Amino acid sequence: MELLGISLDQPASYWQIWDWISVSIPNLIMIIIMLALFVLALVLPFPKGHEES
Amino acid sequence: MSSKSRQSRKEREAFFSRPWSGPNRHYDIFKEGGIALLVVTVLVVALSALFSSPDDPALTFKGWAQNDGNTLYATAVAELAGTSDSAGYGPPYNSNSDGVSLGPLFLQKWGGVTHPIDAANDFVITPLSSQVEPNDVSAAIKQWNAATPDQQAKWAGDYDTALNDQAGAAGDPTKVPAGDYGPVPDLAKGVVAMASTGAYDNAMTGQGQFFQTDQTKQLLLMGDGAYLDDAATADNLQGNTWGMMNEAGSWPGQQWLAFASVWYQLPAFNAPDDATGITRTLTDNADVIIAAILVLLLVTFLFTPYIPVLRDLPRWIPLHRLVWKDYYTKHGRQTT
Repeated sequence: MELLGISLDQPASYWQIWDWISVSIPNLIMIIIMLALFVLALVLPFPKGHEES
Repeated sequence: MSSKSRQSRKEREAFFSRPWSGPNRHYDIFKEGGIALLVVTVLVVALSALFSSPDDPALTFKGWAQNDGNTLYATAVAELAGTSDSAGYGPPYNSNSDGVSLGPLFLQKWGGVTHPIDAANDFVITPLSSQVEPNDVSAAIKQWNAATPDQQAKWAGDYDTALNDQAGAAGDPTKVPAGDYGPVPDLAKGVVAMASTGAYDNAMTGQGQFFQTDQTKQLLLMGDGAYLDDAATADNLQGNTWGMMNEAGSWPGQQWLAFASVWYQLPAFNAPDDATGITRTLTDNADVIIAAILVLLLVTFLFTPYIPVLRDLPRWIPLHRLVWKDYYTKHGRQTT
C-alpha cells in the first residue's frame, strides 16, 4: 500500500449507472481487465505447435 | 418414434461419429499449466505486496456493547419479547412462522426445526446465568424464570413497544416511560454489561464443546441488531450494493458471483418496508426465488444444445471462428 500510496481499506466508490444499477470502481476495473484479456486472447496469434496432418 | 425420424437420427449419429480427418496439433497441457501457474503465482505475490489484502477485525459483542450499547440493549429486549428477526424466523430455528416460500412451496417449513433456538433463553437468560451476576441481574433472572410465559410476554412486549416508540423513547432506555416491565430492563442491562467486558463473547463461543465450530447463535443475534447491519452498509456488503460478491474495503470482489448477485439489485427484490403486494412477497422470499432462478438458468445452460434459438446463437454470432481463425482461414466453413 505504501508503495502505491493508495489505501484500499476505505470503502469503494460507486458509479451509479442508472436508477437501481451501480458498480464499484474496483469491480469495474476487474471487468475491464477481463474483457481486455478476452479480446487479447481473440486477437493475439495462438503459439504454433507441431502440426501433423 | 417414426421410422423416418429414427433414420434421420441414425444418419446424424453416423455423421457425428466419423473419425477426425482434419489436421492434428501437438499440445502440451503440462507446459501450458506450468506457465499459467507461474504467471498467477508472480501476479499474486506482486499484487499482494503492492495492495496488501483485507484484514478487518471480526465484529464482537464486546465491540457492539462499547460502541453501540443502546442497540444491543434493544436487541436483548426484542429477544425477550420474541419480536427479533430470529425469534420469528421460523424453521430451522423455531416454529414461529412458515419461513420463506417459493409460491406454494414452503421449503423451509418442509425442512422442519432442525436447529432449535429459543431466543429469550439462548440469547439472554442462559448467557447471563453462566456467570456470577450483580444482585439486580440475579434477582431479575430469578423473577423471569419464576414467571409464567404469558407474564414474560406481557413484560417484554410492553417494554419492547415503549422502547421502540419513535415518538417517545426512540431506542433510548433512559427515556422509556415508567411501567410494569418486570425484570426486562435489568436483564437487558445485564446483557450489555456482560458484553462490554467480553464475557458474553466467551459465553456464546464456549457452548459446551471443546472445539466450537457452530457460530449460528452468534450470527443470528448479530443479525438481529443494527451493529452488523450498519457495518455491512458501511463496507458496501449489503445485497443491493453487490454485497454477495464484494470484498471489504476497495479490493475487487468475486466476479464469478455476479450472475447471482445481479438479481439482488433489482427493485422488485428491494421493496421498502412499507411495501405491500407482489413486491413485498418477492422481497420477503428473495433468497429462495433467486436460488430458483439460478437453478433454472443452470438447467437452461446444461440443455442449450436442445433449446432452439439458444443453440443457434453460435451460428448467428460466430465468435468461435475468431477463436479458431487459423482453422477457418484454411478450411472455410466446411466441417471436415
